[in-house]
Amino acid sequence: MSFEPKILGIACNWCTYTGADLAGTTRLQYPQNLRVVRVMCSSRINPSFIFRAFQLGADGVLVGGCHPGDCHYNTGNLYARRRLAVTKKILEFSGMEPGRFRVEWISASEGNKFAEVVTEFTEQIKNLGPQTKFKIVK
Amino acid sequence: MATSFKQIEENLKNEARKLLEDQKVSLVLAYGRGYDENHPVPFVAKIAADVENIVFNEYCTANMARYLVRYPRGTKMAVAVKPADSRAVVQLIQEDKVKREDVILLGIPVIGMKNSKTGEVIDSKTTCGLYNPVLYDVLLGEEIHGQPVVSPYDVLAQYEAMDKDARFAFWQKEFDKCIRCYACRKACPMCYCDPCFIDQNKPKWGEKSPQSHGNLMYHLTRFHHLAGRCIDCGECSRACPVDIPLYLFHKKVARECEEMFGQAAGKSIQDKPVLVNFRVDDSDKILE
Repeated sequence: MSFEPKILGIACNWCTYTGADLAGTTRLQYPQNLRVVRVMCSSRINPSFIFRAFQLGADGVLVGGCHPGDCHYNTGNLYARRRLAVTKKILEFSGMEPGRFRVEWISASEGNKFAEVVTEFTEQIKNLGPQTKFKIVK
Repeated sequence: MATSFKQIEENLKNEARKLLEDQKVSLVLAYGRGYDENHPVPFVAKIAADVENIVFNEYCTANMARYLVRYPRGTKMAVAVKPADSRAVVQLIQEDKVKREDVILLGIPVIGMKNSKTGEVIDSKTTCGLYNPVLYDVLLGEEIHGQPVVSPYDVLAQYEAMDKDARFAFWQKEFDKCIRCYACRKACPMCYCDPCFIDQNKPKWGEKSPQSHGNLMYHLTRFHHLAGRCIDCGECSRACPVDIPLYLFHKKVARECEEMFGQAAGKSIQDKPVLVNFRVDDSDKILE
């Protein structure tokens, strides 16, 4: 059986989540490996969510937010950009494969881009294989 | 030539006595004698007679900025600061934990501090490698000039060159030693959250018993919380009873922040901490 990764998607309510909706309503096909959690803004994401997701068995984490400058709350994603950049560096230095964590800016009108990103990211995680480093072994 | 430790101790006593007698401050944060000379302890002088107990020698590594946040806002305090400690005070002022007018910084230029556990001289390998405080009101010795300037980040090169699996194995080995005594948190001047995320039960962010996944969660999140704020005093690693090289990770995060956002922690009281600030023209490249 081929490896089907579990991917956590954290999507901002105003752009990426609506973009995912659009991808759905336009009947675009994308892999079912993504489990989407909706947050109100990408700056709502506590970096511990990401560490915790990896610990609880996620093979990849995809964060989606509005394009910088388009945030519903004006500046939320600008803070998130800095914060998640640090998260990425920390994951990298701790020895996690950097490809397992990705931040994308996807607007509400970019259903196509959402489907593309998810397809591409799932492919990338499949190539990396199961995530075992952070995962809690019971 | 650097001022001798004996001379600095004398200056520190005089200055502390003067401040307490004039009632300019209600307490002076400095060092006192521990169970022997090589183990000085943090000491709070509240009356002029306490000043006799103040000591300063090469083993006074503790970061006294740690104790500033323990007193109610508006308490007038004087604090003995070494170079890294002065950056901690600057960072606390940036974060509005203390007000500039409430603290009097007794700056101490130092060279040749020693780790009381190993007896080794502390240099830029484990600390920020500065010789003079970045902010002070009174300087208790001559400024040190002409010392070799070494980048505090040089020590990172060998760890960055490691393969990521080897690096993960390295950190796992180190974090597995952790006994969760939280000495790193207690020693850190920037760790003032109450309650700390790891002490919370709802949500429970990580396992509290010393198991490897809880240790990983605690340390990685702590590195993240100190991103752009860590002033590289190295006190966490010296406080650690099992000698986890926490300073390495802190240095790495500090360097990345400096490279990405162009600002080091605790250099100027006009700055804002990098993670509560943004620039519209931050590059998306930082996410790659």
